[in-house]
Amino acid sequence: MNLDRLICDEVVDNGCSSERHIGLLPPRHRDRKGAAAEDQAAMWVGLGFAEVASKVGGLIRQGFPLSVVLTTLCQHFDATADGCSSSVLLLDRAGTRVRFSAGSGLPASYMKQLEGKRVRWVETPFGATINEKTPVIVLHPVSDTLREEAAPAAARGFRLCKVSPILSVTGEPLGIFAIYQRESKTDYPRFQSAHIAQFTTLASAAIERMRGDEALNRSAALLERTQQLSSTCCFSWRAKTGEISWSKELGQLFELDAAEVPVTLGLIGTRIHPEDLPSFNEMIERARSGVSDFEFEHRLLLPDNSVKYLHVVAHRTRDQEGELEYIGAVQDVTHRRHAEEAVAKLRAELARAAKVASLGVLTAAIAHEVNQPLAGIVTNASMCRRMLGVDPPDIERARESASRTIRDAERASEVIKRLRALFCKKGVTCESLDLNEATREVVALSLSELERNKVMVRTELTGELPPIQGDRVQLQQVILNLLLNASDAMGGIDDRPRQILIRTERDEEDRVQLSVRDTGVGFGPQGADRLFDAFYTTKGNGMGIGLSVSRSIIESHRGRLWATPNDGPGATFSFSIPSGPMTAAITGARTLGAIRPSTATAAEERHVRSL
Amino acid sequence: MMAKRPLVSVVDDSESVRESLPDLLRELGYSVRAFSSAEEFLASDCVGETRCLILDIVMPGMTGPDLQQELMVRGQEIPIIFVTAQSDETVRTRLLEQGAVDCLFKPFSDTALCEALNAAFRVS
Repeated sequence: MNLDRLICDEVVDNGCSSERHIGLLPPRHRDRKGAAAEDQAAMWVGLGFAEVASKVGGLIRQGFPLSVVLTTLCQHFDATADGCSSSVLLLDRAGTRVRFSAGSGLPASYMKQLEGKRVRWVETPFGATINEKTPVIVLHPVSDTLREEAAPAAARGFRLCKVSPILSVTGEPLGIFAIYQRESKTDYPRFQSAHIAQFTTLASAAIERMRGDEALNRSAALLERTQQLSSTCCFSWRAKTGEISWSKELGQLFELDAAEVPVTLGLIGTRIHPEDLPSFNEMIERARSGVSDFEFEHRLLLPDNSVKYLHVVAHRTRDQEGELEYIGAVQDVTHRRHAEEAVAKLRAELARAAKVASLGVLTAAIAHEVNQPLAGIVTNASMCRRMLGVDPPDIERARESASRTIRDAERASEVIKRLRALFCKKGVTCESLDLNEATREVVALSLSELERNKVMVRTELTGELPPIQGDRVQLQQVILNLLLNASDAMGGIDDRPRQILIRTERDEEDRVQLSVRDTGVGFGPQGADRLFDAFYTTKGNGMGIGLSVSRSIIESHRGRLWATPNDGPGATFSFSIPSGPMTAAITGARTLGAIRPSTATAAEERHVRSL
Repeated sequence: MMAKRPLVSVVDDSESVRESLPDLLRELGYSVRAFSSAEEFLASDCVGETRCLILDIVMPGMTGPDLQQELMVRGQEIPIIFVTAQSDETVRTRLLEQGAVDCLFKPFSDTALCEALNAAFRVS
C-alpha cells in the first residue's frame, strides 16, 4: 500500500454519523473505537445550541455579512472545544472552489491562502468530505498529498483534524467545516458528533439564508435596472385596507418621500392632475369593486407645475389573507406623449394645409367656370354702353349685346347648377342600421381626439333599440358633429370637469333618440333661435354650417334636431328619427346634396382645429 | 380706299367670350376671327395674317402657352394678349416674362382691353 496516498476508506459507525478516516494512522489511534469513545465523551460547554442559533439569527436579521455570522459561529464552537480552532470554508455555487473562509482562531494568512482553492475530490479531506457528504477524521502525521491543505496550517502551529460537510436542505454542498488542533496538543481532540452536526446545520441555514438574500438582492437590483431602463415603477395596493407599497422609483416619480409618510390614495391624489382627478377616482372606485384588471392613463401635476403622463397597468390578485390586491406597474410615458402630440400637431397642420390646398383648388375651379360667362357679361355690357353712347345710339346692336349679356348670366347660373349637381351625385344610401352601433363607432373614432381636449365621454346606450332606416355615414357625420361641437363648447372650461354624456333611447312614439349633453358654455336665449341657421357661429374659427347641415341631414331622415339648455352648465343637442321601414325616399336629399361638400369640410375643420 | 383693318384673332374655348369679344373688337376698329381651340387656329389660313392674338390660357388640348411656343418655333412672332378665367399672378408674371404683351383676368373691362391692344400694336 502506498502510504503517500489516501490510505483509508473505512467507514465506522460512531453512533451519530458515518465518519471516514484519512491519513497515516499513528499507533495510538489505531484503536478507532477508542477515538470514537473519546468523541462521545466530548463536552458541550458555553452557550446552548438554541442560544447560539438565536444569536446567529439576530446577526443575519441585522444584516451582518455572512463572514461575520460564520466567524461568530466558529467562535462559539471554539469556546466549546478545548484547544481547537474551527473555520468554515464557503464554497462557490458549483461546490468546487473555496469562496472565502471564516473563523477567528486560525492565522488570517492561512485562511486567505485557501480562498479560490479548488476542492479536490476524494484524495483530500476537503474533497472527500464534499464528495462523500460525510465527516472525515484526519489522522496525523499526514501524507504529502494532504500537506497542501493541512501543512500550511501546520506551519503556523495548527493541524487539521476533522472536516465536516455543510450541506443544503437538498444535500448540495455549501461549505466545509474544518476543525484544527494546536500542534502542541498531542491527543486527538474530543468532540461530540451531534454538536458538530448542530453546528453545520446552523452554518447551512445561515449560508442558505444569505444566498437567498443575495438572489433576492440580485433580482431586486435587476428589477431596479429594468425599471430604470423602461421608466417603469411598481406598486401593490390592497383595496380593502388601502395599504399601498410602491417602489422607490415610483416615489421619485410622484416626488413623494415614501419613507417619511405612509403612501395613501389621498396623498397620491395631491399629485394627480386636477383635470384627471375625476376619472382617476372613478377608476379607483371601479377597481375597488374588484371587477377586473385595470389600465389607464393620467397626468401628474407636480409642485413645480410640471406635468407627467403615466400609464398604469394593474393586475387583480388575492393576497395571503385572500383579500383583493392589485399588483401594478406605472410607466412614465411623458416623452412618448410629447412625441405623439408633436406628431399629431404636425399631422393636423398637414391636414389643414392639404384642406386649404384642396379648398383652394376647388375655389379656383369654380372661379374659372364662373369667370367665363362673367367675362362675356362685362364685354357685352361694355359693348351695349358703347352702342348707346354713339350718336345716334345704335339701338339694335345695343339690344343684341344686352341679349348676349342675359344669355351669359344664364350660363353663369347654369355653371352654379352644374356644380351643385356635381356634388349631389354621391346619392344618399338607405340601409337598416343600429344607432347604438353607429354611435359606438363614432365615439371610438373620436375618443383620442376628445381625450386630447381633456374631455371625458360617457355613453348610456339603451339596449335593443329598434333599427332605423337611413344613411349611416350621414348620421355618423351628425353624431360626430354634435360630439365635436360639445367638445368645442368646453374648450375654455377649466373650473369643472369637461364631460359629454351620449345617450340613446326609444321614445313613446317608437322614435329613436340620441342626445349629446355637455358641460360647456351653453347658449344664451337669443342664440337658441339662430343655432341652426347657416353661417351662424359662436366659434372664432367656425364656418357656421355644421349644425345647419346636421339639421338638414336629420330632416332628410324624417327626423328632428333640437337643442335645449341644461339645468346646470352646458347644453344638450338631441335628434330623433322614426324607426321601422322608410315610407318615402329620403326627402331632403336635394337640399342636402347642395351643401354636402360643406358637411365634410365642417367636420374636418372642427376635427383638425381641435387637435 | 380704306386701309385694311388689322386682324385680331381670338382663341378661346369659352363661347361667351367668342360671342362677345369679336363684336367689341370690330367696334374698336379691328377685323376679327374667333377660334374655339389652338389647333383650329393653327389649321386656319389666318396665322400669317394675324397682327394680334387674344389667347385663352386653359383650354382642352393645346393650351395658350403651348400655342405661344408653337408659334415661336414656327417663327411667327405675333403679339399675344392672354386672357384667363384663373387669376393667378404667378402665371401672369411668367407669361409676361416670356414675351406676352399682357395677361388679362376675366372678366376684364373694355378699357383694359384697349390698353392691351394699343400696347400690342405698339410692339408690332
